[in-house]
Amino acid sequence: MGSPAKVGKKAAPPTKTAPPAYLDQSQLDLSGLNLVNKEVSKAEEAPKMSFAHDKLLEEVRKSLDAQRKGKQALSLVVIGHVDAGKSTLMGRLLYELGRMDERTRAANERNSTKAGKSSFSWAWSLDGTSEERERGITMDVALESFSTTKRQITVLDAPGHKEFIPNMISGASRADCALLVVDASTGEFESGFERGGQTREHLVLARSLGVAQVIVAINKLDQVQWGKNRYEEICALLRPFLTQSGFHSAKTSFIPIGAMLGVNLVACEGEDAKQLLEWYQGPTLVDLLDKLEPPSRDITAPARIPVSNIFKGQGSGISVSGRVLSGVVQVGERLRILPGDETAVVKSIEVEEENVPWVAAGSNAILALVSVDSVQLTIGSVLCPPANPVPLALTFTARILIFDLQVPIIAGAMVELFHHSRDVPASVSKLIATLDRASGKVVKSNPRVLGKASSAEVQITIRSTGSSTRPIPLEPYAANKAMGRILIRREGETIAAGIVMEVLG
Amino acid sequence: MKFVNRFVDKHGTGHVTLRPEDDEDMWHLYNLIQEGDSIRAPAIRRVQKISSTGSVDSQRVRLNLTIKVTRVDFSSSAAPSTATPNDAADASSSNQPDATAALHISGPVTVENQHVRLGAFHTLDIEVQRDVRIEKFEGWDSVALARVDEAIVPGKGAEVAALVCGEGTAAFCLLSQHMTLVTHRLSLPVPRKGSASGATQHEKGLNRFYGTLFESFLRHVPYSNVGLKAIVIASPGWVRDSVYDYMVAEASRRGDKVLQKALKDKVVKVHISSPHVHSLVEVLKSPEIVSQLKETKFAREGIVLDKFFKMLGTDEMRAWYGPDHVVLAADRGAIGTLLISDDLFRASNPVTRKKYVGLVEAVQQKGGEVVIFSSMHESGQQLLLLTGIAALLTFPLDVEVVEAEDKEEAERLRLAKEGELDGG
Repeated sequence: MGSPAKVGKKAAPPTKTAPPAYLDQSQLDLSGLNLVNKEVSKAEEAPKMSFAHDKLLEEVRKSLDAQRKGKQALSLVVIGHVDAGKSTLMGRLLYELGRMDERTRAANERNSTKAGKSSFSWAWSLDGTSEERERGITMDVALESFSTTKRQITVLDAPGHKEFIPNMISGASRADCALLVVDASTGEFESGFERGGQTREHLVLARSLGVAQVIVAINKLDQVQWGKNRYEEICALLRPFLTQSGFHSAKTSFIPIGAMLGVNLVACEGEDAKQLLEWYQGPTLVDLLDKLEPPSRDITAPARIPVSNIFKGQGSGISVSGRVLSGVVQVGERLRILPGDETAVVKSIEVEEENVPWVAAGSNAILALVSVDSVQLTIGSVLCPPANPVPLALTFTARILIFDLQVPIIAGAMVELFHHSRDVPASVSKLIATLDRASGKVVKSNPRVLGKASSAEVQITIRSTGSSTRPIPLEPYAANKAMGRILIRREGETIAAGIVMEVLG
Repeated sequence: MKFVNRFVDKHGTGHVTLRPEDDEDMWHLYNLIQEGDSIRAPAIRRVQKISSTGSVDSQRVRLNLTIKVTRVDFSSSAAPSTATPNDAADASSSNQPDATAALHISGPVTVENQHVRLGAFHTLDIEVQRDVRIEKFEGWDSVALARVDEAIVPGKGAEVAALVCGEGTAAFCLLSQHMTLVTHRLSLPVPRKGSASGATQHEKGLNRFYGTLFESFLRHVPYSNVGLKAIVIASPGWVRDSVYDYMVAEASRRGDKVLQKALKDKVVKVHISSPHVHSLVEVLKSPEIVSQLKETKFAREGIVLDKFFKMLGTDEMRAWYGPDHVVLAADRGAIGTLLISDDLFRASNPVTRKKYVGLVEAVQQKGGEVVIFSSMHESGQQLLLLTGIAALLTFPLDVEVVEAEDKEEAERLRLAKEGELDGG
């Protein structure tokens, strides 16, 4: 793996020069009191926009067309039950595709063996924090990228543990397609697939967040002697569930793999693959990845970037990472940060560890921002053009689909509302109507309770935290699909998913 | 609260004198005192005298004033919702763990004295250790008297401190019988793991968070207090373990023996599903806490509310909510447990209050149990979101059938009345 810092340094714009030693005291006082006009003081840092908006769109279209002939870019979220081997698969795949160098691999192997966790050696390339390594599980989404012959793929390696579903949601909301990893070993598949297992919940979550294509990788087949029966048994169990969750059968594919040994990832050959080759002649994982279709991107809509991470970038500025849901953003553009009254200027844009002059819908980008105080940014903030801000919502109506739940939803029920990387306490303030699941027609207005597996229109109110209530940026589904999807959880269970109908203010 | 005296006759007229001692007593008084009541309490009033020569002489006079209440204001010493590290530093100077709640009662003076004219407005600032005499305008009802009895039970100080935290966020709460006070909120940006930012920023951010958390803990949790029964550290994931380990390590590094002992004896680690304050309800449901605190009112509230939600899941016909529906159920003598928020009794409209008092009395007469939820607790807040009133029924009743019955009954009565009129 190339160290991102190195690449960043190579391409980073000139950093701020050190302040001269003979600073005027009055100047210092002024800056101490924040009296200096920010625009003026930072003007040299903020680059100018190089395109007019129309020109930019033209440019983007041209390059997207070019991309269609070459490598199309898409993002893939890796989901599945805890310990299914998601991180290991990704680590191995990165190595096979040459994205991880031999030295890193050897270092991971050595260190993980030293820690007595040699089976995690592949996963360590994605599980970077010491706590993750110590516990041997992924806790937060790791972002990596690689390219196959036809696709440029951004991978979001989601945590499989039940505790970290909020992080998984944050990852899945940044993806186009999903790779579901399933543990084939005896008993493990079953525990992931039963009620409360993450195989089930992740699929439902991913679908509710707009992911339509899924590759199901049946992993650890080496532990069941590459049994064809086991593979088919698992496929047969998953197929109806996938259809029921709303995945079109033409957009789902299944594949047997052995991640640890690297079988059927890039190629299906060698000593380890012999048993599999006896009954399997299908495509490899990379072949399937090549066939993933990127969804259409809405580049003409106003730009929307929900912030999923904030960190100190190179030099003085702050960097945020997030997915451009719609529209285009270029270097030098001023963006509004919502909620709040502040704006920031984009200093540089980094996609796949390379500096680019602009970024269009669909990409996961890192934006370096200037003329902004880090206090104004929180994980979950949305960046958008100042002329076209996202509406802020305290109360809104939504159509929701209720999953399996033990306690029905009643008016006033306390829930947690998930929208991209943000989760806020909220309450279902009004039950407007129950709807027919197929036609969407009103079955009963003002119902008293909402039971499991029903569909309904409800009003949701963000609950105050302490003395103040902060509205969150939300858009009706009709205006912007990606900004209008919400998930509702309660006490660690996902109880409903829905779309925003109307923002009431 | 100290009980001073009580003169209430069987019809409910009369007065009660109480001496508040802490924040919770203020909350009790806030719940007792209603618009229209007469309150007598010590006050300091600036009195102006104009002498014959026209010079103005202003003096502060301590006197007892009796006012007819037109407004009651209560403010707990709740923390601001978000606190940056700078705020945290500012708070250090002014904060005391037993910060006081304020209760202000305003209204016209009804008993004249030599300094204040009749009808002059005054705002009484109720202070601890000063007697307050309350005379109810509508007379003392059973709920109000029960509240007095509850308030004067001595030595109930079952206090629990709870620290609800997630990665980068924390809320410090103090729980007493009737109140949950969020004394401090902390929110620090912790860069998330991501291959681009690397793991070091994440770990640095976390360490900074633990450090700030530790400082805030020292300031906001009265850990050396003997009255503090337990310190709950609740979080999703493993944050609570990391926080606890950090605190233990830091306490021993600083050689703070008192803190070390408190951490060892009092800390209970509880798993919750989200780092928001409303997860306190989950804390109170957890077996670790229930076994320790089942005597306390807030644990009781949590259990009853949980029972209600569970009943709603298993047998919808035995869990009713909303004032109209609950009244219907009460008419049929079906209520086994009545869940009612004290917020409803604070209704400024005496008719509304009377209605709810009547309901409580009716349920008690029929042998039902009544749990009055404190709206200062998280469970009470949640009940308030469900209209503030709910009931667990002893036998299943269908809402729609009952509503239809009721309509028929009303129709029958109307017809009977008309018939009477025709006959007469």
